[in-house]
Amino acid sequence: MSNSENEVKMQNLSVEYRLGEAYIPFQSYGKIFDPRTALMNGTLFPELYRPYRVRAEL
Amino acid sequence: MYSKDMVDLLKEIMAVDFVVYELALFLDTHPNDRRALEDHNNFAMKSRQLREMFERKYGPLILDSVSEFPYQYINNPWPWEIRY
Amino acid sequence: MWYYVKKLQYPANVARTDLGMAKFLFAQYGGPDSELSASIRYLTQRYTMPIPQAKALLTDIGTEELAHWEIIGTLIYKLTDGATPEQMRRAGLGDHFAQHDNALYPHDAAGVPWTAAYIQATGDPIADLHENLAAEQKARATYEHLISLTDDPGVIATLAFLREREIVHFQRFGEALMLVKEYMDKPKHVF
Repeated sequence: MSNSENEVKMQNLSVEYRLGEAYIPFQSYGKIFDPRTALMNGTLFPELYRPYRVRAEL
Repeated sequence: MYSKDMVDLLKEIMAVDFVVYELALFLDTHPNDRRALEDHNNFAMKSRQLREMFERKYGPLILDSVSEFPYQYINNPWPWEIRY
Repeated sequence: MWYYVKKLQYPANVARTDLGMAKFLFAQYGGPDSELSASIRYLTQRYTMPIPQAKALLTDIGTEELAHWEIIGTLIYKLTDGATPEQMRRAGLGDHFAQHDNALYPHDAAGVPWTAAYIQATGDPIADLHENLAAEQKARATYEHLISLTDDPGVIATLAFLREREIVHFQRFGEALMLVKEYMDKPKHVF
């Protein structure tokens, strides 16, 4: 969803970006997994799904 | 003992409840997101229906559910004893 | 207050008894970056969060971590079910057996008991939220180590689920941090 109320609010999030601080982008609500897939993946959100890949031996 | 039907229904509840929980965490930091709230409410209603169906067949999942005599909540299986 | 719901958050299965893996999993049952530490940390810090979003988030993630503690407990229970004292000894769980038999006890993979010294609550919401971001990363790293230590598909699937939760929680704590910063940046709240 490109223009949810929340996203509008987030664009107005009045945080001033400064050195020496950490910032994290806000998630906006988009597509979601079906319940069974969400449970198996450990998240409802495709954009947060980062499955662990065992590092390949070189 | 417990049946495959019981485990399947329990897993369906686990999946829907997981979606509700994930949406609840999202809403904690996005309380004004109307679409996420609609999804949360729909999945929460679905969860209630599934839980009622489960409890009618297999007994309480939570101590404030109404129980037949004798008290059914204590009966097996407990979550760590089930083969899913 | 809390109500117990008689179900796991994730359907945790194991393929076979594996006492060595059970020993390693104690890292997440009673270690520094364990699910127990996570739960107690967030449920302790929530009282001094300044905004409703952060109070809610720490309450709800703290509660979810207790459900994860139960999942780790379930894996250990299933992996050790029916083990004899001699098998426990050979797997390096002789010390555990001497004090706890087959019971679960909150200690780490090396048997060091859980302590509140693993967590902090500074009363400073910015400091506390940064601790939580770090805690989620440390737990994610621990899950990757644990995944590397087993070939049991049920254990791997369960640990992958718990690892992914750390990533989602990191995002949420980050959002809470942004909201708290915004709140504290308002002139009347500068201190």
